[in-house]
Amino acid sequence: MMNKKTDVLVIGAGLSGMMAAARAAQSGKKVTLLTKGMGTLSLTSGCIDLWGYEVDNPKQPCGSPFAQIQKVVEQNPSHPYAKVYDVLKESLTFFQGICDKDGLTYRDNGGENWLLPTAVGTLRPTYLAPTSMAVKDLNKVKQIVVAGFDELKDFYPEVLVTNLKKSKLLRPDCELTVAHLKSGWKKLYATSLAHRLEQPEGQREVIRQLKPLIKPGAIVLFPPALGERRDIDVAGLISKGLGCPVYEVTNLPPALPGQRLQDLFLKYLKNQGVTVILSSTVTGAQVAGNRCSHVTAEGAGKTFTISAQTYILATGSFVGGGFDSKPGQIEETIFGLPINTGDGKWASGEFLSLKGHPFNRFGIDVNDRLQPVDGQSKVILENVLVTGANLAGSEFSIEKCGNGVALASGFKAGKLAGEVSR
Amino acid sequence: MTQKHDKHLILDNCIKCSICVANCPVVKVTDKYAGPKQNGPDLERFRLDEPRAVHPSIEYCSNCKTCDVVCPSGVNVSAMNCKAKGEYVALHGAPIRDQVLGRVELICKAAQIAPALVNWAANVKPFRAIGEATFGVAADMPFPRFASRTFLQQYKPKKINNPKGKVLYYPGCYVNYYTPQVGLALAEVFAHNGIEMVVDSFNCCGLPTVSNGLTEVAKGYARNNVAKLNSYIEKGYKIITTCPSCNLTLRQEYHELFDMDTVRINNETYDAFEYLLMLHEAGKLDTRLKALPQRFGYHQPCHLRSVGFGIPSLEILRLIPQLEVHNLEAGCCGLSGSYGFKKEKYPISQEIGQNVVQAIQEAGVTQNITECGMCQLQINHLSGLPIHHPIQLLAEAYGLPSYLPK
Ligand SMILES: Cc1cc2nc3c(=O)[nH]c(=O)nc-3n(C[C@H](O)[C@H](O)[C@H](O)COP(=O)(O)OP(=O)(O)OC[C@H]3O[C@@H](n4cnc5c(N)ncnc54)[C@H](O)[C@@H]3O)c2cc1C
Ligand code: SF4
Ligand code: SF4
Repeated sequence: MMNKKTDVLVIGAGLSGMMAAARAAQSGKKVTLLTKGMGTLSLTSGCIDLWGYEVDNPKQPCGSPFAQIQKVVEQNPSHPYAKVYDVLKESLTFFQGICDKDGLTYRDNGGENWLLPTAVGTLRPTYLAPTSMAVKDLNKVKQIVVAGFDELKDFYPEVLVTNLKKSKLLRPDCELTVAHLKSGWKKLYATSLAHRLEQPEGQREVIRQLKPLIKPGAIVLFPPALGERRDIDVAGLISKGLGCPVYEVTNLPPALPGQRLQDLFLKYLKNQGVTVILSSTVTGAQVAGNRCSHVTAEGAGKTFTISAQTYILATGSFVGGGFDSKPGQIEETIFGLPINTGDGKWASGEFLSLKGHPFNRFGIDVNDRLQPVDGQSKVILENVLVTGANLAGSEFSIEKCGNGVALASGFKAGKLAGEVSR
Repeated sequence: MTQKHDKHLILDNCIKCSICVANCPVVKVTDKYAGPKQNGPDLERFRLDEPRAVHPSIEYCSNCKTCDVVCPSGVNVSAMNCKAKGEYVALHGAPIRDQVLGRVELICKAAQIAPALVNWAANVKPFRAIGEATFGVAADMPFPRFASRTFLQQYKPKKINNPKGKVLYYPGCYVNYYTPQVGLALAEVFAHNGIEMVVDSFNCCGLPTVSNGLTEVAKGYARNNVAKLNSYIEKGYKIITTCPSCNLTLRQEYHELFDMDTVRINNETYDAFEYLLMLHEAGKLDTRLKALPQRFGYHQPCHLRSVGFGIPSLEILRLIPQLEVHNLEAGCCGLSGSYGFKKEKYPISQEIGQNVVQAIQEAGVTQNITECGMCQLQINHLSGLPIHHPIQLLAEAYGLPSYLPK
């Protein structure tokens, strides 16, 4: 059986794995990123959440996420942020640098969270948003035109308008307008709409239909499908044609903003000399003492082994496919690491409980070098580092910290892997 | 090994995330296709009980397998689609055009009577116009040119004393009939490294046949090939391919589509560069390579990506001093074998390929390499630039005959 050698093996191509690979490559390591499929990025809004609501008042969106995270770290040392707090700001700068270089600028709102309109008209706190989503001064806007496409399922401009109207953030005299656009196609997916809007005719069609509705001081909100390619600034072009800012709303999977980020990172990694192996699943590991000596990977048929100095486990818990649940038992599929399940309960009685669901907190316990530890805080495998959704103790859907934890923990793992001497 | 997929299990793995839809190149450019999720796992559920539950838009799936590669849950969407296409054709029949385009082996054999004449006729505009009007074969898509002599006619095995390894080369239809220079360059590289290479006559791997829904024909090819390949494996030969689609078909598709046991073939079959990389890792590859101060764009064929082994050719080409290979990273080229030759699919195929054109311009390269013959054809058609198989660059760097145009 063939064995490949590398310095750092990253398992998983979600945000945390890609950050880890990027950071380790910066240290001059030979990095291999191997993944079964794409990560959850393309299911997300494409925005980077750090922390959404006040720790002491979970209904109140918070201003600065950093103040809240500091509280979390003090109150709850088992939260993933407690393990990566030292690199949080550094990791954000690193991330923004990579995106900026490729022209996909991620904007912060001067240290405060953004409050961005979602597809259903609620406002979502988030920390970093791509320019095409970062709606500035929503509270000063005089008219909001919501552009839907009749052939696109899952995006209903009326719903957006009805709910957004209720927001106290808008000017009382802000006018909300629904625009039903026609694309000429029988049906549209987010990607096919994006593709059409990359063509000049597609943009002209949209501008022609929207122009008569636009009043001074207006902005236009689109479904998150303003192009897929990063070299065509669809939002900018339509905005120029209409003479007013246009934005994509958040929260409608599959959305193009997450997809653009995924593509950008994969391309960046390959340009940094990272070997990327797609469509291959790590199925097991060889362990000697408290070190992993190699892992086994299965492609569409071919099985091979890879040995590395450091293994980064970025397999995304349940959604990403890193954990598997069998009746009465949950396991991490590669190293068989223990999963901390708290009191063992899966879900709270209420589906939309403000406390979230315990199973989202399930994960692997680590020390502050991200090495997996057992109940007695003893390191289980010293050359395996755990990142992202695999970490125990956070509830991303309630806390709004998923991509933030993924980004910072990936960065830290990559940095630590870069420090290992040959 | 992996060949233990339980179909129901894999089906239940679908979490309806639509990542496959978001990445399907066909969905992006046309509204004629219902998409991988709907045609794949959504309808497959019904097909388990009612095989005829097939959406007519299934013919628009190009079998590029992007859906399989991106699915986070390991659902083999494209295999479901291929089977569904087979069901559809079994029920409704296939147009004459598809029956012919799918039987690449037959076309190629027939053309051997007078390859030059066929080449000439294949590119006469009025003939092509009639072909489009009558049979629906896109007039603007150039046919590949038949070589004057096939690879199998040209290859003379060299005697190697104390070989470091012995391999059977499966050239596939494209190399055998259209680009024998690829096989000849491979032979040079292997002989140079002390590898004994034999050949034999095989059936077409059957992928074009499967893609056109002619499942039964493909199954016949598969049976013959499996038997013959196994006889070589028993004699200690490794099987080598240079075409990623043949590679994938022998290794995986026979099993996934026809439930054949191909565990052994799967283990013993290698892409040429995968084999060379293995030699290299074992310290057995000659790395005395001369400098090639040139720049090339590299296109990764979809079927190479879906094998899940990375890009071995790039790892080997990295050993050549001063050679700069820029990975185009542009996704599917759009041709997908006979797909892009069909009148109604030609525009889709060209539209998908624009990504590659764009990437070539961005990289500023004026020549390209890729493993797949069909990708070579499409990229040359789209860009007008020369394109070769990476093995030819390796032969060149060894100072061996590389069959590159001078
Ligand atoms: C629907 C949804 C919407 C969300 N929206 C947001 C949002 O808007 N903002 C935000 O900040 N957060 C959001 N989150 C949370 C956030 O997406 C995740 O917490 C974070 O992206 C997780 O990243 P990851 O790298 O840890 O894992 P993932 O992105 O899950 O990646 C895991 C990777 O591992 C691979 N893998 C798994 N097992 C194996 C194996 N055995 N071998 C090889 N590869 C393997 C998978 O194929 C995948 O590539 C959302 C989550 C979901 C589910
Ligand atoms: S087949 Fe895979 S990618 Fe497609 S919806 Fe199902 S789980 Fe998602
Ligand atoms: S094989 Fe390619 S064309 Fe067919 S559904 Fe999958 S991604 Fe789409």
